[in-house]
Amino acid sequence: MKLLTKTTIYFLLIMLPLLTVSAFYLFSQFNKQIRHEIDEELLNDQIQWIRYLDTVNLRSMVFHFSTPEFSLQPADGATQQKPVVQSVMLYQEVEGEKVPYRQLTQLIPIQGKTYLLTLRKSLIERRDLIKNIFFVMMIVFGGLLGFILLLNWLLSKRLWRPFYQSLEKVQGVQLMQLGNLRFSPTSTHEFSRLNAALNTMATRIHRDYISIKELTEDAAHEMQTPLAIAESKLEVLLQDESLSEAQLHAIGQSTEALERLSRLNHSLLQLAKIENHQYDKTQSRSLQQVTNQYLGLLDELIKDKQLTLDTRLSGPAAWQMPDALADMLVSNLLGNAIRYNYTGGQIRVQLDDQQLAISNTSDAPAIPENQLFQRFKKGTPVSDHSNGLGLAIVKKICDTYNLPIRYQFENGVHTFTVFRFSPDSTASFAA
Amino acid sequence: MKVLVIEDEPALQTAIREYLEQQGYVCETAPDFPQALTKVNDYDYDCIVADIGLPKGNGLDIVRELKVLESRAGIIIISAKDSLEDKLNGLDLGADDYLTKPFHLSELNARINAILRRKHFDGNTTIQFQEIRILPASKTVLVHDTPVLLTGKEYQLLLYFIANQRRVVTKTALAGHLWGDVYDQAGSYDFIYTHIKNLRKKLLEAGCEDYIKTVYGTGYRWSDQ
Repeated sequence: MKLLTKTTIYFLLIMLPLLTVSAFYLFSQFNKQIRHEIDEELLNDQIQWIRYLDTVNLRSMVFHFSTPEFSLQPADGATQQKPVVQSVMLYQEVEGEKVPYRQLTQLIPIQGKTYLLTLRKSLIERRDLIKNIFFVMMIVFGGLLGFILLLNWLLSKRLWRPFYQSLEKVQGVQLMQLGNLRFSPTSTHEFSRLNAALNTMATRIHRDYISIKELTEDAAHEMQTPLAIAESKLEVLLQDESLSEAQLHAIGQSTEALERLSRLNHSLLQLAKIENHQYDKTQSRSLQQVTNQYLGLLDELIKDKQLTLDTRLSGPAAWQMPDALADMLVSNLLGNAIRYNYTGGQIRVQLDDQQLAISNTSDAPAIPENQLFQRFKKGTPVSDHSNGLGLAIVKKICDTYNLPIRYQFENGVHTFTVFRFSPDSTASFAA
Repeated sequence: MKVLVIEDEPALQTAIREYLEQQGYVCETAPDFPQALTKVNDYDYDCIVADIGLPKGNGLDIVRELKVLESRAGIIIISAKDSLEDKLNGLDLGADDYLTKPFHLSELNARINAILRRKHFDGNTTIQFQEIRILPASKTVLVHDTPVLLTGKEYQLLLYFIANQRRVVTKTALAGHLWGDVYDQAGSYDFIYTHIKNLRKKLLEAGCEDYIKTVYGTGYRWSDQ
């Protein structure tokens, strides 16, 4: 939920009950006040009436007055010192219904007789008044609420703008562009602080990223020279004719181990380079050419293992990737297909304008999905010459150039399929 | 033949010099840019092996200087960086070859050999080893003056062996020389054995002595001793 929506909702949740309560409070206060005023009027009338009845000379022993507003009737019982004031509902002919009255009753003595004095005031006009006041109040309150909400929304929107701007910048940024990312200061202290912190952070992350990137590359490069020294020293040592067979064998094994180390180093460098996008992204290359080239180069290995090769290359289309990476992709996939094959096995290479599929028979079980493209997860322990980076490199290339890659295992046949287009672009391509 | 090795790592420099001297070259060395510059200005070399990353300068500038001097020396650049850009730069400037560290000394030697042959004899030279004569221009191999038909790989093997004669050549060096980076994909180096077996068979059938000696667990030695 957006911050603005959230504050608005909270505001509304607090303001609505508050306004309702105050409206009811005001309403009851009005009511009370008006009742009080009427009661005072009634008392005043009563005093006037009693004074009048005391002074007037009435001939009749028993008299009786009655109007809705005033009645005087003989009654029994003791006289009351204080009048009783209460609300009553009485039928009114004009209105055709019962309407509220405020009524004062008192048993008073007139010339030694007890009378019930009843005075009434209609509340109907006052009720209407209260109703009107109440409506006006509601309108004013509602308007006020709406206005405050709008104001709050506008203000928040304006106040939070720098925040959203920074947020958008952070969201859109890629690690490599971090160096160019600048958050400008704003008039809000907190956001200025935030932006300053973001600036520092971006600079630091960028610096770290660059230094790690350089470290990876430098380390790999720096490793080449000691490797070269060790390998060449061993090669010179190998020429010593006084060495025994066992010593020669030991030197040979050391040389091979160093070779593996240097290949591993080389592969890591390649991975780092692809990760750092150090290849030209605009190049494209026909995979048919590359595949043919590598099938030729690997011909020896294929014959050596007596593999049956089934090729269907019918896709001259150019794939969107640099030469070096096309080479890596194809050579790694073909190499794996040969390396993990058994003697007398099969390899099938299918290439059309949509996809490249390379399948091979193998004794190896299906590769678990979670290990498929992981570094240093070797398919089988058989091969010492695999450095466990081949598929990781393939995956990295596919990811970098948005080529979907799929792995299937069926009846002892492993298949890797690389698609020339990602699914969404295929749709647009077909259309 | 005089070779100048420009390399700042003393250990590597010594190893290269020793190997090349064993192959009969006169070898001089320079550990940094200024010394290298002085040497290329003062002396004539047949081949120059230059590291790109040098103290106080860049190996590529040596290549530039050599071009200014109109030197006829063959130039091989070696670099710790396996970067296509460096390679193309070097070759553009007039270097004859490019090697990435780490490399096999036998490979460096074979490349120097090839460059010298190309540069100094315009390829019109013969390589003679006892009864074997090789005509690089036509890729012909003669044993006792009778042509022997070799496949491309077998021919390359023979040249490599003769260039590194009497030296132990490792299987990985052979694989790297014949197949380049692709041999990384091989599960083993056994396939080299087939080629060597065939080469040996053809040479023996032509009446050649058996010069290919297997060095147990390591590689091969081409030797007439």
